[in-house]
Amino acid sequence: MKILLVDDDPIARAIHAMMLHSQGHEVIEAADGELAWLLVQEKDIGFVVSDWMMPNLAGVELCRKIRAANFEHYVYVILCTSKGAKSDLIEGMDAGADDFLVKPIGPEELRVKVRAGERVLNLQRGLADKNRELATINGQLQSAHKLVEEDLKAAAWMQQRLLPQPMQKAHGIECLWRLEPSGYIAGDIFNCFSMGEQEAGFYLLDVCGHGVPAAMLSVTLSMVLTPEATYGSPLMALDPSTGTSAVLPPDDAVRELNRRFQSIDDRYFTMIYGVFDLRSSTIRFAQAGHPGPILMRKGAKPQTHGEGGMPVGLWPKIVFDCFDIPVRAGDRLLLYSDGVTECVNETNTAFGEERLLSYLEECANVSLEHLLEGLISELKTWRGKNECADDISLLALEVTDDMLEP
Amino acid sequence: MKFLESSDGNVLIVKVLENRITADVAAGFKEGLVEYVKKGNRMIILDLSDVTFIDSSGLGALIGSLKAMGGNGELLLSGAHEAVMNMFKLTHMNKVFRMFKSPEEALSAIS
Repeated sequence: MKILLVDDDPIARAIHAMMLHSQGHEVIEAADGELAWLLVQEKDIGFVVSDWMMPNLAGVELCRKIRAANFEHYVYVILCTSKGAKSDLIEGMDAGADDFLVKPIGPEELRVKVRAGERVLNLQRGLADKNRELATINGQLQSAHKLVEEDLKAAAWMQQRLLPQPMQKAHGIECLWRLEPSGYIAGDIFNCFSMGEQEAGFYLLDVCGHGVPAAMLSVTLSMVLTPEATYGSPLMALDPSTGTSAVLPPDDAVRELNRRFQSIDDRYFTMIYGVFDLRSSTIRFAQAGHPGPILMRKGAKPQTHGEGGMPVGLWPKIVFDCFDIPVRAGDRLLLYSDGVTECVNETNTAFGEERLLSYLEECANVSLEHLLEGLISELKTWRGKNECADDISLLALEVTDDMLEP
Repeated sequence: MKFLESSDGNVLIVKVLENRITADVAAGFKEGLVEYVKKGNRMIILDLSDVTFIDSSGLGALIGSLKAMGGNGELLLSGAHEAVMNMFKLTHMNKVFRMFKSPEEALSAIS
């Protein structure tokens, strides 16, 4: 090891230099503190054995300068004193000395003290190497994280573009919605559209789980679930002889979806799909493992419809049922994902269907816009400091009177 | 996921020692159950009496475990709480899994 030996007494310096040489160290000598300070700055020195009392710059001052310089590597300093007084030791330690030797110094004493210092320096070097390694890894992680985050933001933007317009209108209905993904992107998706001449379709679906894997399936589904899907919409039946297509009953449409989207990794989805037929003023629903639609009608209590049903994608041969709700102008419907009812407060109590129904009852005379906004803030209040564990989606519809038969 | 196992003849009774089976534990839940199936268990009663909530991922894990039996054997459920039962009713999974009040009731139904 390279050791800087500082002493103004040439004899003592020569003796100590000889000892250190014989112990296998490379010795650089300095005749006073000032010179030593220059050497410490110029040469790569990690170990200093310095006399205390010296002209120009005393050992304790040299030590202070070294500590204040805050070199990248640690400099281990042993101060030699001929006094060994307690007050000196305290001053030396305060200046940042690591150890002390009392003159006259024997070779064995010098050997063990230098070896102890060497151990400390080795440990320090090991730690510094580890720190550099960690800093590099940390930098790599940070850039990887940034990349993932940017990807997710881009994905969220693309997913937003698949959602309906605010206040989207279809035959005989207008719809409003809210989506609060638990992460950047959601496994919930919904839409509302006109079908054929006299019908409107709308759905809300929830891919089990959340995050990227769920969102990829929900995005795929939303591309397929339109009356104009490129490769044959599962919502329409094409008559090959005439080349025209007709709206499939919702239970058949869901059966077709189930045929096409068999799960490969337990990733099924639940959905509610309604087709509003203006000629009969009836909405026919297929309910696949999803909470039933809530009908809000003036002068009546909001009511959940439907008896449940199996989710989509679990087994190929599932038969789906459907049910009808006759509607009239002014009727409202709420479709929602279970992120609403399963939203838990700080004591782990779920928001639940009853609370949802009574909220909706209070909002009988409120605009749909305010109803949805109010429900989202109600859920935020309920949740408190809890994270949103699941995506929350709401699709509210109102039957308009412009196309209904009187 | 922690389970408590006991057996009665060739029937394995597995009690789930977890309150909530949700997305974050669903993978471990399924892994544990599939392990029992791999060991050759074909009659498993899953005691859900400690489980107060199961989400869609938890249900997916349960169905995945049933599928792992390959149609040879049965996964019976017991002690489902109301919230759990509601989930099974909504998704009609109460028609896929036979459900009982207690493991004893499930045992007497299959013996």
